[in-house]
Amino acid sequence: MATTTEVAEAMYAMVKEYHGKKNLKALDLRKAMIEKFGDDNCDKKICKGAIRELIDSGKCTYSYVGGSYIVLPPEA
Amino acid sequence: MSTPAPRKTDIGPPHYEQFLPEVIKKNYGKWKYHERPKPGVLLHVGHSGDKLWSVRAASARLMSIETLRLLADIADEFCDGHLRFTSRNNVEFLVVDESKVDPLIERLNKEGYPVGGTGPGITNIVHTQGWIHCHSAASDASGVVKSVMDELFPYYDGSKTLPAKLRIAFACCLNMCGAVHCSDIAILGVHRRAPVIKHDQLRGQCEIPSTVSACPTGAIRPTTVDGRETVEVIEEQCMFCANCYTVCPAMTLNDPVNDGLSIWVGGKVSNARSEPMFSKLAIPFLPNNPPRWPETVAAVKNIVEVYAKDARNYERVGEWIERIGWPKFFEMTEIEFTKYHIDDFKHAGETYKRSLHFRQK
Amino acid sequence: MAEKLRATPLLDELEKGPWPSFVTEMKKSAAKNPMANDQLGILEHSYRDKIGHWKHGGLVGVMGYGGGVIGRYSDLPEEYPECAEFHTIRVNQPAGWFYTSDVLRKLCDVWEKHGSGLTNMHGSTGDIILLGAKTEALEPVFSDLTEMGFDLGGSGSDVRTPSCCCGESRCEWACYDTMKFTHELTQHFQDELHRPAFPYKFKFKMAGCPNDCVASVARSDMSIIGTWRDNIQIDQKEVAAYVKNGLDIDADVTSRCPTGCIKWDGKALQIDNTNCVKCMHCINTMPKGLAPGKDRGATILLGAKAPIIGGALLASVLVPFYDMEDAEDIYELAEEIWDVWGEHGMNRERVGEFIQRIGLGNFLEQIGLEPEPEMVMHPRTNPYIFFELDEEG
Repeated sequence: MATTTEVAEAMYAMVKEYHGKKNLKALDLRKAMIEKFGDDNCDKKICKGAIRELIDSGKCTYSYVGGSYIVLPPEA
Repeated sequence: MSTPAPRKTDIGPPHYEQFLPEVIKKNYGKWKYHERPKPGVLLHVGHSGDKLWSVRAASARLMSIETLRLLADIADEFCDGHLRFTSRNNVEFLVVDESKVDPLIERLNKEGYPVGGTGPGITNIVHTQGWIHCHSAASDASGVVKSVMDELFPYYDGSKTLPAKLRIAFACCLNMCGAVHCSDIAILGVHRRAPVIKHDQLRGQCEIPSTVSACPTGAIRPTTVDGRETVEVIEEQCMFCANCYTVCPAMTLNDPVNDGLSIWVGGKVSNARSEPMFSKLAIPFLPNNPPRWPETVAAVKNIVEVYAKDARNYERVGEWIERIGWPKFFEMTEIEFTKYHIDDFKHAGETYKRSLHFRQK
Repeated sequence: MAEKLRATPLLDELEKGPWPSFVTEMKKSAAKNPMANDQLGILEHSYRDKIGHWKHGGLVGVMGYGGGVIGRYSDLPEEYPECAEFHTIRVNQPAGWFYTSDVLRKLCDVWEKHGSGLTNMHGSTGDIILLGAKTEALEPVFSDLTEMGFDLGGSGSDVRTPSCCCGESRCEWACYDTMKFTHELTQHFQDELHRPAFPYKFKFKMAGCPNDCVASVARSDMSIIGTWRDNIQIDQKEVAAYVKNGLDIDADVTSRCPTGCIKWDGKALQIDNTNCVKCMHCINTMPKGLAPGKDRGATILLGAKAPIIGGALLASVLVPFYDMEDAEDIYELAEEIWDVWGEHGMNRERVGEFIQRIGLGNFLEQIGLEPEPEMVMHPRTNPYIFFELDEEG
């Protein structure tokens, strides 16, 4: 199994890569991570923890534009 | 500097039990029956024989903390500080001492929070924020609600009654935060012009693919203006739902002349007698005419009065119309039937008449 | 601090008449609070030019949560500087909307300290609404609220604040304990409520009986409505008393029964319970004489929503009867639904629209429920059946 922190780092890289191009939802991140790490190494629960880690650390923040997205904080 | 207390999260709402009066704790799940001794008052009787009078007062829903403190003081004076709010924004005082009921009613009426809203009549109008606080409002909410309730007040305080209860709801745009689509009478804010696109703003704030896919009729497509990517709207295909505006703030819809109100009738949510039903279009457009929206007030009052005169006991507006038929509804209310009344969205054909069941003209 | 009130000749018209005036409410706050005073000014401005002056704002909230705060900015910040930022805070209400005067005063004190002093009791979904906070006030309000035992409600693509009727606390018709269920459900799904992870919003509403006083069938993605399976309880003496006191039992009760299963022979009421559809009408008209049966539970319905995007929907039956014995079963059902909808649902597609798109039959298969005739008004009328290819012979 991947650690929550490993998944959080991979998610953060993805949010950065898509910044300014496409807003990502929690579900987009989850699907991408399960694909990246594989079913055996990553699941819903780890992804949930990873998102929480990203948000609680302030590396990412929630945004609302007709739906809830996970984005970089405005100053970043 | 002292260390700050650890931040609390995910504690959820406080447990309701700490706010319940003793009589409710004791009779929880053991109520036997209720009656309505007078307008605005419910009397619940437990299997234990205990009695609880709930005195229901109107509110504007929008309330200052000054008013909430006043309500708290009144609750202290008359019912040991116990009160609750209803799903239609009324406030209920929970009284165990019968001798306090009439003085409480008198006090609430005097303070400007009149008692009523029970039984076969009209109670508070569930409504949305309107111009008070909403970005997509096609009209104000509170002003229309106040104007309609001032006019229909006799049906609230019990001086006039109706064949059955009549629920009015108000939503200031098609997002319908007030989910008015199953009300006896619904007042709904509508836009009537396609969004005006602010291209500079769009570039900074919106994703083009999600803005394009936000449109349920495919009226938005990507284009280029001044050499830069943006979107355009095929106006004939726009049905003014404002979904694109929620997704992209640069698709602005507010229009002082063409925004206004529509009136819908005959919905219900309860299962009593008939199944829950949607409200159907009665009047497609009435102008925004603040501060008192006289056209809208008159339209609602007319429907209420025709219904009051013709419906049988216990017939909700929708049940009454089903009995008399829609042609008669339009004839009796003298509302014009237009092409806008005929559905042209998904599954529209299911609403076309297929029988020869017509009543005499 | 006393404020000089903004001039509001148009709004002043709405202080007349018997119904409580929201303008009076706004003035009460405006007299003490500059934010509320500018808010009064901007509303008068809207009444003059007939358009709203609010913009939605995407990036405000409290740390760690993706919901609970609705960002609002005005488009006239120079004219009305005090309400240039005017965010809404949704505070999760106690189930059933019961309060004591004490707790109400404490809420007022928090809001007096940090915000405009204006509230909604309550918002459409059921929350206590604190109307008008500046961005800098959000964390302090949150901290004071949690200190007194309150938390924020939902907003965005998450579980929205569940709400319910007063149920067994003050209603003899409640067929399950709506307030207890709602409180526990809300506590169970705190993470889903505060950290949006769905294609779009998901609302729960709990009604104790088929009268559905919280409009759950029209207003919630999952609607749990109390009902019963056995016989209506009859007190013949009380029924006779209603008739004696003037109730026209033929016109107003028996002839209004949707299945004609109730008869009055002049002395006693007879109900063919096998044909009763639990509509509540006879019980509503004679609360002393009739009561729901004793074998109680709920029907679970799915998919109601307002028009945006694919048209308004009423909820439809998913579980015809559940005895409400174990809340865990419903939590599991909800999670199954979220998994399927999360995997295949489109952005901003409510679960009701999702079911319309893929078909209820396919949806049932995916969440592992068997089809039952109670789930449809009638079987299909078109012959375009997607027979499965592994069925042969």
